Amino acid sequence: MADKAILYRPIKAKVDKVISESPTIKTIVLIPESEFAFKTGEFIELTLNGYGEAPFTPSSSPLETRRLEVTIMKTGYVTNKLHELKPGEVVGIRGPFGRGYPVEKFYGKEIIIVGGGCGFAPIRSLLYNLIAIKEKFKKVILCYGAKTPEECIYKPFVDELKKTERFEVYRSVDRADEEWSEKEGVVTILLEDLKVDIKNSVAVVCGPPVMMKFGTLKLLEMGYPESDIYLSMEKNMSCGMGKCGHCMMGKYFVCKDGPVFTYEEIKNEPGIWL
Amino acid sequence: MESFQISLTDWQKALQELSESYKIYAAVNNGNSIDYEVVNNDNLKDIIYNTPKPATPLKSFFLPAKENVVINKKFHKKNIIIGIPSCDLAGVGLLDEIYLDKDFVDPYYKNARDNSILIGTDCLTTQQHCHCTSYGVNPYPEKNNDLSLISLNGAILIFLNTAKGADIVVRIKEIATVREISSENIKAVQDKREAVKKQLKSRNSKLPDYKETGKLVKKSKESVWEKYAKTCVSCGACATICPTCTCFLLIDRPEFEKVRQLDACQYPGFEKTAGGEDPLKKKFVRFRNRYMCKYVWKPEKFESIACTGCGRCIESCIGSINKNELFIELANKK
Repeated sequence: MADKAILYRPIKAKVDKVISESPTIKTIVLIPESEFAFKTGEFIELTLNGYGEAPFTPSSSPLETRRLEVTIMKTGYVTNKLHELKPGEVVGIRGPFGRGYPVEKFYGKEIIIVGGGCGFAPIRSLLYNLIAIKEKFKKVILCYGAKTPEECIYKPFVDELKKTERFEVYRSVDRADEEWSEKEGVVTILLEDLKVDIKNSVAVVCGPPVMMKFGTLKLLEMGYPESDIYLSMEKNMSCGMGKCGHCMMGKYFVCKDGPVFTYEEIKNEPGIWL
Repeated sequence: MESFQISLTDWQKALQELSESYKIYAAVNNGNSIDYEVVNNDNLKDIIYNTPKPATPLKSFFLPAKENVVINKKFHKKNIIIGIPSCDLAGVGLLDEIYLDKDFVDPYYKNARDNSILIGTDCLTTQQHCHCTSYGVNPYPEKNNDLSLISLNGAILIFLNTAKGADIVVRIKEIATVREISSENIKAVQDKREAVKKQLKSRNSKLPDYKETGKLVKKSKESVWEKYAKTCVSCGACATICPTCTCFLLIDRPEFEKVRQLDACQYPGFEKTAGGEDPLKKKFVRFRNRYMCKYVWKPEKFESIACTGCGRCIESCIGSINKNELFIELANKK
């Protein structure tokens, strides 16, 4: 891990490859100048030299330390520019920051993962981690939703995952086309048909705020305890060290205390779905 | 710890001497305001004692308005800061908890803290909006100061509180004729302290205390915040001048350098994410946010108080918003 005292200075990373995942989402494959280890669910700050910085949870396996993938939706000042990156260019990375997924707490359980849109990014990293130790879990069910089939990301990964023992994948899109053979509707409809042993299960939710909200409400309705629902919160994390205040959510600094929280921890804080 | 008194003339001589090896800042009266200035031979006589409060909060020495946090800085001389009122000293508690947090010790803050010797002062007079006693802070130095002093009957009474301040005491003793503080002076200090406390408590008798304010703020209705935020122009003065507001903006510079600049949750877009979500979109929510932070959230997470009753936010507000009037209204509606 990097020296915590100098975490304002990014280390350099070279763009190795740019993968187009959907019309608005790209994955940037980075080779950091020195080994970069992180735990799944922790996040990094990605710096464009002299331009700006934005927080991302890596979408690659936490078991790989020489290569880092970041999946980025084109949506703002920094991400628009990140979409223009070409192989060979150099960016900066700071981190890893925050509290990731407590994978050890999931041992022996069924894991329901609910993801939407670009929220698949942290989830893919989690899935890579789970696949590597799959005998430790009863089963892992991924429920993923996107707006259209075109916007479903990580297609090759999903195909592989479907073939992986102990893993089940269900997908839905808000608007299907003729070729779509899976479900149509918002992601919560996938939860309706699930057969899960709720008592021996945990749920992980990551996606746009509105999806997180309805996903969580659905899980609560199904009987999941508040302490077994893990949310990865997206706030305006900047310094990453619980100081600058931009990601405050009530008493929490999301960058340091999160970004992964149980619903129980944050349910009374303001603006959790904003 | 140790205490003694010296004459004002000897104290000034000591400051002249010390200024060769330290950079000395002291509260100086500029006519219509009091602020810290670098002490030199010309302004020695303008140093003001026993008086609140420098316009600039103490935090500015440790968290400058703008600072490069990637390049290495060198301190040529240690700072001595003289005339810090107890409200600002109390504010250092929260700054330390955030910036010296063991998980991420901020090297720039730490350097500035380590390189500063803090000399507190009694407040023997008060200003209109001073309300430290309402929040459990006495109007004389008790915490976070290496030395404290009080000017009394032509003498400077000095109290040594930390090992860090001991070097200064050694130097002073080389220059000045040191006397034990007379029992009359000890009694005079105690009497004056009690009188100031009494004055502050009586003036702010209707103001709820720190804990009670937190409870009131937490259960308050939106309408009261909407009413008080009407004249707010989101200038951020309240946060900038607050001894415990520490938020900053990180700005990117070429060569992967980063500059942090004081920021305020009062500015639009402070918490806005790239996706467009903005929990602090409405002005009254931003206005309320600062008080939720000070009286509800910070107390849930930190030991130190997040409002020390200095009153600067009231003095600096160009919209004439007085948060204490708001809290009294909340208390009365209870």
